[in-house]
Parts: sequence; structure tokens; C-alpha cells
Amino acid sequence: MISTGNDIVALKAINITRTKQQNFYSKIISDSEKSLYDQQFSESLPFEHFVWLLWSIKESVYKYLQRITPGIVFSPTRVIINQLEAPANNTISVFEGRDFNDKIVYKGVVEFGAHILYSRSIIAEDFIFSVVNHMDNFERVLWGIRPIDSDEPDRQSETVRTFAITMLNSLFPDAELQIGKNIHGIPVLLKNGIEIPVPISLAHHDHYVAYSFAVSA
Amino acid sequence: MTREETLNELKKVIAPYTINKEMLAGINDQTDLIRDLKINSANLVDIIIDAEAKYDIEIDYDSADKMTNVGSCLDVITEKINQK
Repeated sequence: MISTGNDIVALKAINITRTKQQNFYSKIISDSEKSLYDQQFSESLPFEHFVWLLWSIKESVYKYLQRITPGIVFSPTRVIINQLEAPANNTISVFEGRDFNDKIVYKGVVEFGAHILYSRSIIAEDFIFSVVNHMDNFERVLWGIRPIDSDEPDRQSETVRTFAITMLNSLFPDAELQIGKNIHGIPVLLKNGIEIPVPISLAHHDHYVAYSFAVSA
Repeated sequence: MTREETLNELKKVIAPYTINKEMLAGINDQTDLIRDLKINSANLVDIIIDAEAKYDIEIDYDSADKMTNVGSCLDVITEKINQK
């Protein structure tokens, strides 16, 4: 079963002081991940960005696995980022597309129990965005990020659905598409009212929304 | 502290992270923090940290993972208060 999971963190909405406090970040990152920061990222990335980068990856993993195992418990410190590779260039100019330009994304390998997943993340001025996939190849993953004018939950929900459907309509031009939820509350894509096997993940935080979905070809 | 008193304090902890004030006033054990109160998942750690400060307790990882609805929050908080 293929799945997808994404998450977005609006950097203007995070509490930098709190994020740097040990009692806060230790509920998100493990000791090994703190060591990863100290050894690999302390000179290139503010610590608060590292913490929220890992949060966005871990939340994406949770969303990915929740579709396969509904009822799974989100346990951030048990989702372990084993490898994280920084991009050569962090200048972001594209906010929607298929696959990723490896030169501008953080690439990660993530472990949760018996699962190994792969991540791609973008750190921009105002947001951190992550997507995970079951293989280290994102050619079949489509994604998008958009700022919105409201942080009201219903508005976020409506906007991200419209945003994702616009992209999906380019793939399924003759179908009437809708995004619904299954009995577990997980987003599903409906084509002419019938669920189709295109896993979709929606995210919103403050004034940003994002989606990802995976196609079989 | 009775469960009702703990619940009233919990409402104050949750209040800054939800705009759904009407539902917050009437929360019960089944109220889901994300689905019903529309709390962003990015704020769940804030709620745990604020609860630790409010009740002067320490919430370990396993307990924190359970805190997805009001009932489980109250169970964890009550357990930690009783362990003091």
C-alpha cells in the first residue's frame, strides 16, 4: 500500500525561546538527534529551525503510517532521523511540483519501529515543509505549498483542498474530484464520488497550507 | 484535586491554542484536541509543557503520547499528581 505524508511549520508562529528550552525540544528530538545537530548543523542552521525541521519530518512520518495503520500512536521521540543531508543551495523559487530539486532540499532517512522512510524538506524564510516516501525517489510524489490570508481552521481546510484539487485536476482532467475523509479521519481522494488509490496528505499551520500526494505512474 | 477541578484547570491550559471557545467550554472526555478543538499538532507539545507547569508535574514520553483527547489528558495529569 502506498501512502504519503507531509507537514508544514510556519516559522512566524513558533516560539523561538521555548523551542530552545530543553524541556520542550526533548519532547520532539532524541539525544542522538541532538548530537546530529551538534556535529553537523550547528554552524549552518539555527537550533529552533532544526527542531521544527525534525518535527515536520516526524509528523509527516506519522501521517504516512497512519493511513496504513490507523490508530498508530504518534511518538515523536521514537521516530528517529538517522541521516540528514543539507542542500548545497537553500534558495527556494518553486512552491509546487513533482519530485524535488535535490540541490535545494534536506534529504533524510527516518526509522520508526520496523519502518524505514525517506524525507525531503524545504526550509524557506517563513516556513519549513517536509514530505516522506517509502523509497528514496520522489518522482511519483506531487506537492505544493501556499501562503493564505487566514489562520482560521475552516478556511485553512477549504483552501488546502481547493489548492490540491487544482493540481489533481491536471492529472484527472475529465473526472469530478473531491477530497473526503475515511472513517479514521484520514484524507481520501474521491473520483466521481468513489475513493481512488491516490493517497493524499494535507497540512496547515498559521498562514500556510500544503499538500502531497503519490501517484502510481 | 477532583477530576472536575482538574478539568477546569485544563481548560485554561488549552485555551490559548484553540479558537473554538464554545466547544472548549463544553469539553468532555471524548473531545479530541486536534479534530474537535482544531488545535494545530504543532501546539501539542506546548500544551504538555504548560500542563507540567500548571500542575507541577513531569510528563514522560509514553504518557505524553497518550494525550490526544481530554479524557486521556485528565488521566495522565491525575496519575502524575498522585505520584507526587
